[in-house]
Amino acid sequence: MKIFLKFISIGLLSGTCFGSALMDQKAPDFSLFDSYGKEISLNSFEGKKVVIEWTNHGCPFVAKHYKTGNMQSTQEFALENDTVWLSVISSAPGTQGFVSSAEANKLTASREASPSHVLFDPTGNVGKLYNAKTTPHMYIVNEKGVLKYEGAIDDAGGRGFMFKDLLKATNYIKNGLIELSTGNKLSSPVTKPYGCSVKYAS
Amino acid sequence: MEGDDLLVGIKFKLAEGWHTYWKNPGDAGEGASIEWNLPEGLKASKILWPGPHKIPVEPLMTFGYNDEVVLLTKIFSTQDVVFPLDIKARVGWFTCKDICIPQEGEISLRINEGNKIPTVDSNEINSYFKSVPTNFNQDYRVERLDDKFFLQTEIGDGKHYENVYFFPDDYGLTNYVDEQKYEKNLNSFILEVNASDANLNLQTFAGVIEATDNKETSYFEISYPLLTEESDSEQSVFLLIIFAFIGGLILNIMPCVFPILSIKILRFMEHSENSSIQTYKFGLYYSLGAIMSFLIIAFILIFLKSSGEAIGWGFQLQYPLVISILFYLFIALGFMFMSNLVFGSQLGQLSSIARVKNESLESFLTGILAVIVASPCTAPFMGSAIGFALLQPGINSIFIFLSLGIGFALPYFILSVKPSLLAFLPKPGAWMETFKQFMAFPMWGSALWLLWVLSGQVDTDTVVLVLIGGLLISLSLWLLEKNTSQIKSIQWVVRLISLILVLFSLWIIPTSYSEIDKETQGDLVYSEAMLQEFRDSKELIFLNFTADWCITCKVNERVALKTNAVNEIIRKKNIKYIEADWTRKDFIIAKKLEEFGRTGVPLYLLYPSEGEPIILPEILTEDTLISYLTEIN
Repeated sequence: MKIFLKFISIGLLSGTCFGSALMDQKAPDFSLFDSYGKEISLNSFEGKKVVIEWTNHGCPFVAKHYKTGNMQSTQEFALENDTVWLSVISSAPGTQGFVSSAEANKLTASREASPSHVLFDPTGNVGKLYNAKTTPHMYIVNEKGVLKYEGAIDDAGGRGFMFKDLLKATNYIKNGLIELSTGNKLSSPVTKPYGCSVKYAS
Repeated sequence: MEGDDLLVGIKFKLAEGWHTYWKNPGDAGEGASIEWNLPEGLKASKILWPGPHKIPVEPLMTFGYNDEVVLLTKIFSTQDVVFPLDIKARVGWFTCKDICIPQEGEISLRINEGNKIPTVDSNEINSYFKSVPTNFNQDYRVERLDDKFFLQTEIGDGKHYENVYFFPDDYGLTNYVDEQKYEKNLNSFILEVNASDANLNLQTFAGVIEATDNKETSYFEISYPLLTEESDSEQSVFLLIIFAFIGGLILNIMPCVFPILSIKILRFMEHSENSSIQTYKFGLYYSLGAIMSFLIIAFILIFLKSSGEAIGWGFQLQYPLVISILFYLFIALGFMFMSNLVFGSQLGQLSSIARVKNESLESFLTGILAVIVASPCTAPFMGSAIGFALLQPGINSIFIFLSLGIGFALPYFILSVKPSLLAFLPKPGAWMETFKQFMAFPMWGSALWLLWVLSGQVDTDTVVLVLIGGLLISLSLWLLEKNTSQIKSIQWVVRLISLILVLFSLWIIPTSYSEIDKETQGDLVYSEAMLQEFRDSKELIFLNFTADWCITCKVNERVALKTNAVNEIIRKKNIKYIEADWTRKDFIIAKKLEEFGRTGVPLYLLYPSEGEPIILPEILTEDTLISYLTEIN
């Protein structure tokens, strides 16, 4: 009988895990205009994995990820794995990173980036909905629309970032997408996001 | 010289409005990094960061330094060195205003031999060194209650701070943006800090507190171990697999299974005249059937789990609902073992269907049937095992079920290999009925235990409600057992009544935690007359001055005053527990507080049967409170 009780008590004790407010919940839906003037909503991608990247091209952290090709290679990896990539700009008008559609498309071309859509969130509402704090700040949503990852793009954050070789870092997005497609739980579902502050309207 | 050290400072002078970051930058940014290039025999310490400041960047919060800062490093020698010493460093840092600029630079310093002479620079270095956090040499504790951390400390010599703020070392501990609440009491303070949304299960509450009084600001290092709720599930998987195996073995003697198995065992005996190879074969097919059934159950459950995840299906035994249903199940099982009511018996008859010509197939089917027949008995504890197994990654739960199946099949398999062992088994007979009835008691014991668990989650009234439910369940089972009337319509009416009773008992189950309102449970409300009366009759009295807005009081109540162990001793020693609620700054209570030189709460007074009351510390721990309560007389 002790064994029964043991089982029950083990069942009672366990149950807390890593997490954040949104983790493992349905990712909040949003609808934003992309750089071609098309209205894009998150829900329309159900059935596909979605990576959401908060970005600001003027932020030195973002700039380094694009200059080294790290962000582009992550985007290509995502696309090859049937994943939608949304780059969201939450910079308020007049702040760093706020760009016109033409500028956004030019940036994408010149950086040889391959986001599925570049989305504008000038009010910052979507950024705040997702608690996006930094650029870059990354999220992965699975095929069922459930948030599975939130945090940094890789483990290169922390002091001395500018001296680090990003291509040697552990890429949480690539790993997360692999783990999701093999049906595993993510080994690091929440990590510390690093970078510049998102330039919300104050 | 060896063992000698030198404090080196790197000064960052920032333009007005710009800032650079602390080691934990807060929501965004990054602290400086220094890579030293030192001559042989010298080593550099980590950066000694002066105390940081809050730098809000709406709607975020960052930690760092405005205007200027000197980051200090201790350079120490591990062996004799040759002068002059050339010290070099590569420094990378960010200066930010509304935008951030990464910067880097090389610095160098030549040190000639000679005595240390104070200079303007060394004065500046020393003044920054003073703001490098030192160990906090007061006793303090950190409690996590729900989504808040409470840092409490007793101030010994009456030195008090106007304000205290906590800067965490690492991400995932506290929320940076939320205000922190500081509360000053006469001899203690408490700081309330909201926990971070990102729950990374950090082991320690580590960081720096900034303590300001009228004259100056001091910084102290804080590090307090946290109780992590995460159980050692990683290591215990192996243990669980063993438990599952033992559980499987035990299933064999469960009242639902044993009668069926013993029939099968009897058939062995019939076959024992045949060659031993054949009985070995039966055992093998039986085991295959049983193990396969368990694996199928595992796969079904894993499938349910993975598909249910998105819609929030979770097997959570913390819920009063689940515990109540388990309680009913154990009550019902106990009753069924006591009575002649066996739902499993109909299923048991099914095994006769498996009496097909092909004996290997029959054994295989028997294995499957044994698992099905076992399920009424196993449901309660299998449910819990499954609950835990499902919290594990898929592969682990499969191993747990595999182990359960192997344990279940093993005794039969061993008997089939060595039928001579049958001689050692007790023969089926009347004792089985006695044993079955006896098994009711452990079932009811488990029910009791579940009730105890439930009583921690809901109030007494709800527990009584669940007990009534248990009574109704028993009544309905009794009705079913006595339902032997020849008239069909009466049979159906009785069945309907039973069903209604069961449904009713399910309906009254609590579905959520109830607020356990302990304050109103037998606590006495303070009045001077009542106190005097108890004093006259030489009672032991605990007088608690509290208020709803007093954070210290509430934390003390949660971690010490209202714990089971303390309640127990208060009840045992018949200590009169009186609460003086100062939420509305009552005049009479204020006067009483004044008597003890207080202008605020908390104040805890413990009255011996004779003599002056003892004033307890403002910060109560369960241990100190218990030792006070034990000693008083």
